Amino acid sequence: MEKAKAAGIPVFCIDREINSTNAAVSQILSDSYSGCVKLGQYFVKTVGKEGEYAELLGIVGDNNTWNRSKGFHSVVNRYPGLKMVAQQSGDFDRAKGLEVMQSILQAHPNIKAVFCGNDAMAMGAYQALVSAGKDKQVKVFGFDGADEVVRMIAEGKIAATGMQFPKTMARKSAEFADEYIKGKRDFPQKVPVAVELVTPENVAKYGDYGKK
Amino acid sequence: MRAVRWIIAIAIIAVVCWLFPLFHVVPLKKVKAEQAATAFNATRFAENFWTNQLLPSLNKAVKAGVLLPAIQADPAAAKKKYARSVGLSDAYFYFLSGTGRVVSVSDDAISLAVTDGTTNAEISLQTGLIFGDAIRDGTGLLNASDYPNSQDFNDISAALDHLVETRVLPGLRQQAKPGAKIFFAGCAEVDDESTDLKPLNVIPIQTKAE
Repeated sequence: MEKAKAAGIPVFCIDREINSTNAAVSQILSDSYSGCVKLGQYFVKTVGKEGEYAELLGIVGDNNTWNRSKGFHSVVNRYPGLKMVAQQSGDFDRAKGLEVMQSILQAHPNIKAVFCGNDAMAMGAYQALVSAGKDKQVKVFGFDGADEVVRMIAEGKIAATGMQFPKTMARKSAEFADEYIKGKRDFPQKVPVAVELVTPENVAKYGDYGKK
Repeated sequence: MRAVRWIIAIAIIAVVCWLFPLFHVVPLKKVKAEQAATAFNATRFAENFWTNQLLPSLNKAVKAGVLLPAIQADPAAAKKKYARSVGLSDAYFYFLSGTGRVVSVSDDAISLAVTDGTTNAEISLQTGLIFGDAIRDGTGLLNASDYPNSQDFNDISAALDHLVETRVLPGLRQQAKPGAKIFFAGCAEVDDESTDLKPLNVIPIQTKAE
């Protein structure tokens, strides 16, 4: 990014944050933390204030991973009856999520829920639960708003996700780039994009990576 | 002769390694202490912000006696005039203050009637567990663009919410008896324009019994 800037190439970041306020022209980022605060509140509402649960983290070096985890835990950790019995990385990957969930289920067969740092891992975790015959026992929470997961929420297979609005982020980045080409230079360094909670109660409003 | 050459070579290598070691052994405690010293301390930041910026800014909050009638008359116009939003979002914030009479008290909220003559709950001061970004984002004093790492900016939210729980709510719960008159200043987060604002849920920053 610094090299691109030095070469006079303007860079607009979408979704993935860089820890700098002067390398990119602007960073348009999902507000993962706030989205996961909402997910955490819904988690407590639907799972209850007691019980064991697991967490599948994303890539451990990624800000998104920790903003999501911290937002979720800022809520759930306030309820001492909710015990996290396993926290492992699934690298934001569906196959890895499945594999990690299988091993978690062997060690902790009584969990009531799993919070996944993205929807790919949530789908992998759900597959592992189906294989173990525990898909009715364990509630799965994802994050992204992937079309397949939105459908699974409507079918009652996944409890909730956070909708990230990637098309909104891409559109805003394109608009910023257009304004830059036309001479504008004063852009907000970081533009948080709200994440909305998608649940069985409101899932009809969502699809195609956004609101219908 | 050959042995001498070997000794000289080993001596040279030893001196080079002494001057330019291939690795350093550093106590883990020292590394952790250095990391802690340079890491952003959200708790300390929030305490300074609370005292030096947030409390002095309360006189800039819109008066509830102005905001509530404006919302009732035209919610969209009230939003345009008095609210602020952050980034791309349907959600928005009001930063408001006012005085109301306590009409009800529950485990996680104290309801106030602000308008003279009404007994309806118009403001609901949140007194349960405090979550979210209303205090951080509601006043416009803090900006995500000033923080290279968004994790630091998010930690500020949690630290400010903790200050509300520890500095504001204990006193408020003691003051809040039905019929008591209470001054409040705080922030309200509204999900979107379809949200029912009767009452308006406010996270208090300061309260006083009057």
